[in-house]
Amino acid sequence: MQDTIRGNRAIIEGIEPLCAHGGNVSHTSDSFGNAYHWFLLDMPGQILQAAEILHPQGARLAMITAYNRHSENQPMQALCYQFVLEGVVYSVTAPLDAEHPQVPSITPLFANADWHEREMMELYGIKVINQPNPRRLFLDEELDKGLLGELVPLSILMNGASSQDLWERILQGKESR
Amino acid sequence: MSKNTFTMPLGPVHVALEEPVYFRLEVEGETIRNVDLTSGHVHRGMEALAQQRNLVKNVTLTERVCSLCSNSHSFTYSMAVENALGLDIPPRARYLRVLAEEIKRVASHLFNTAIQAHIIGFKSLFMHVMEVRETIQDVKETVYGNRMNLASNCLGGVKCDVDPKLLEYILTQIAKMEPQVEEIRDIYNTNHNVLTRTKGIGLLPKEDAIRLGVVGPVARGSGIMNDVRKESPYAAYGELEFNSILKDGCCVHTRTQVRLDEVFESFKLIRQCCEQMPEGPVTCPMKPIPTTQATARSEAPRGEVFYYIRTNGTEIPERLKWRVPSYMNWESLGVMMRDCAVADVALITNSIDPCVSCTER
Repeated sequence: MQDTIRGNRAIIEGIEPLCAHGGNVSHTSDSFGNAYHWFLLDMPGQILQAAEILHPQGARLAMITAYNRHSENQPMQALCYQFVLEGVVYSVTAPLDAEHPQVPSITPLFANADWHEREMMELYGIKVINQPNPRRLFLDEELDKGLLGELVPLSILMNGASSQDLWERILQGKESR
Repeated sequence: MSKNTFTMPLGPVHVALEEPVYFRLEVEGETIRNVDLTSGHVHRGMEALAQQRNLVKNVTLTERVCSLCSNSHSFTYSMAVENALGLDIPPRARYLRVLAEEIKRVASHLFNTAIQAHIIGFKSLFMHVMEVRETIQDVKETVYGNRMNLASNCLGGVKCDVDPKLLEYILTQIAKMEPQVEEIRDIYNTNHNVLTRTKGIGLLPKEDAIRLGVVGPVARGSGIMNDVRKESPYAAYGELEFNSILKDGCCVHTRTQVRLDEVFESFKLIRQCCEQMPEGPVTCPMKPIPTTQATARSEAPRGEVFYYIRTNGTEIPERLKWRVPSYMNWESLGVMMRDCAVADVALITNSIDPCVSCTER
């Protein structure tokens, strides 16, 4: 365990004022001495300000995670953005409004945020403002947004997907040819 | 789209693609002008499954995210849980984890190299590389009892100890393989047919690699040093001597060079693990599960694997999310394929060592 947790001063001091004036910031290290810095923003829109601090320092976006309190049909509660710079991980969490979950896009700054943002739009129904490429990533356009947050019983899934509906569509396709 | 170009679909099922992905190519004659890709054909919903299983069961689940990087997933997941619980694994377990990881890396890199020979139509080279790879497959089967999923990792250490006799066996097999892989590397570096198809093809300039945040051999073939084993040493990597391979050719051939050179670094690491393995226990006791969050990352054969876990005091994780290296590397194909020949699509795709099923989880 190291005595001093490594980190980029400009990043830490830049993001701290956005997190209850430093009250929602913590610094940890693992048993190998690798450093982790955790920031909880006051408002979702501040993720763009945090990204503007991280980008010029040369940080790389590693992952974005949407999470809730582990129960189906509940809206996503927050987004955790993880950045890496010189072996140090900076996790910046943006809280979400339960009724209108939305955040600004950071893809204009971090091009590799594109897939992460498109995934959270289609799987969890989170609105990403100014996303430059708001197309579906994995799911077909016919499927509703936020589908993975819903609990679909197997009986409904099977009736819809593998019996009548499916064959009717196939037959329609054949007839129209 | 200009009037000189037309759209050409490729995939999702195609003889040269290992897994389903759909490419929409805008081509002008035989030359690709723009690429768009669609995936989602093998979405498995594994993240949702992970939130219905306890921490211990998820070791088995995460090992099934990817076949070639299987060990990296259970390894990194275990590290994320250990970081959340504040566990410090014993020294012998650290070495055993590196041993399993590097054995898997050798098998993965040789598989990708073999597939490249298959795509360019050099069937005898494909068969030869696969035959040499078979030795490391035998090592996995003999030491761990499995040829793909080693099932070696567990929370707090490793499940199976490796006795001195087996360590000696691993050293013998590595000594047998090393000159054979040297010969393979020589073929890939000098054979006219291989070089004609791979050198200068599928260029990913360094600035695009930085912009797209690519990882693993794709990044290191474009001059970006981001080997997690060096950048944030974990397990026993901080105590072992090895080099990170860095090249700046930015093409398909360079990425193959990085992988083949890395095989020799893996041999070095395996040898050190076998010779310097500390004595002692291979697991540490569990601790109570707190309400917390933690991350862990490691260098899988394809690049950085990233895990994030949130615990809520119960044995079921509140949230478990992972990001595989291929997820970061797919978009680089748009840069690599621009102005290339249609015939090179499969070859360039293989050069990022893609894994569709782990991308879509």
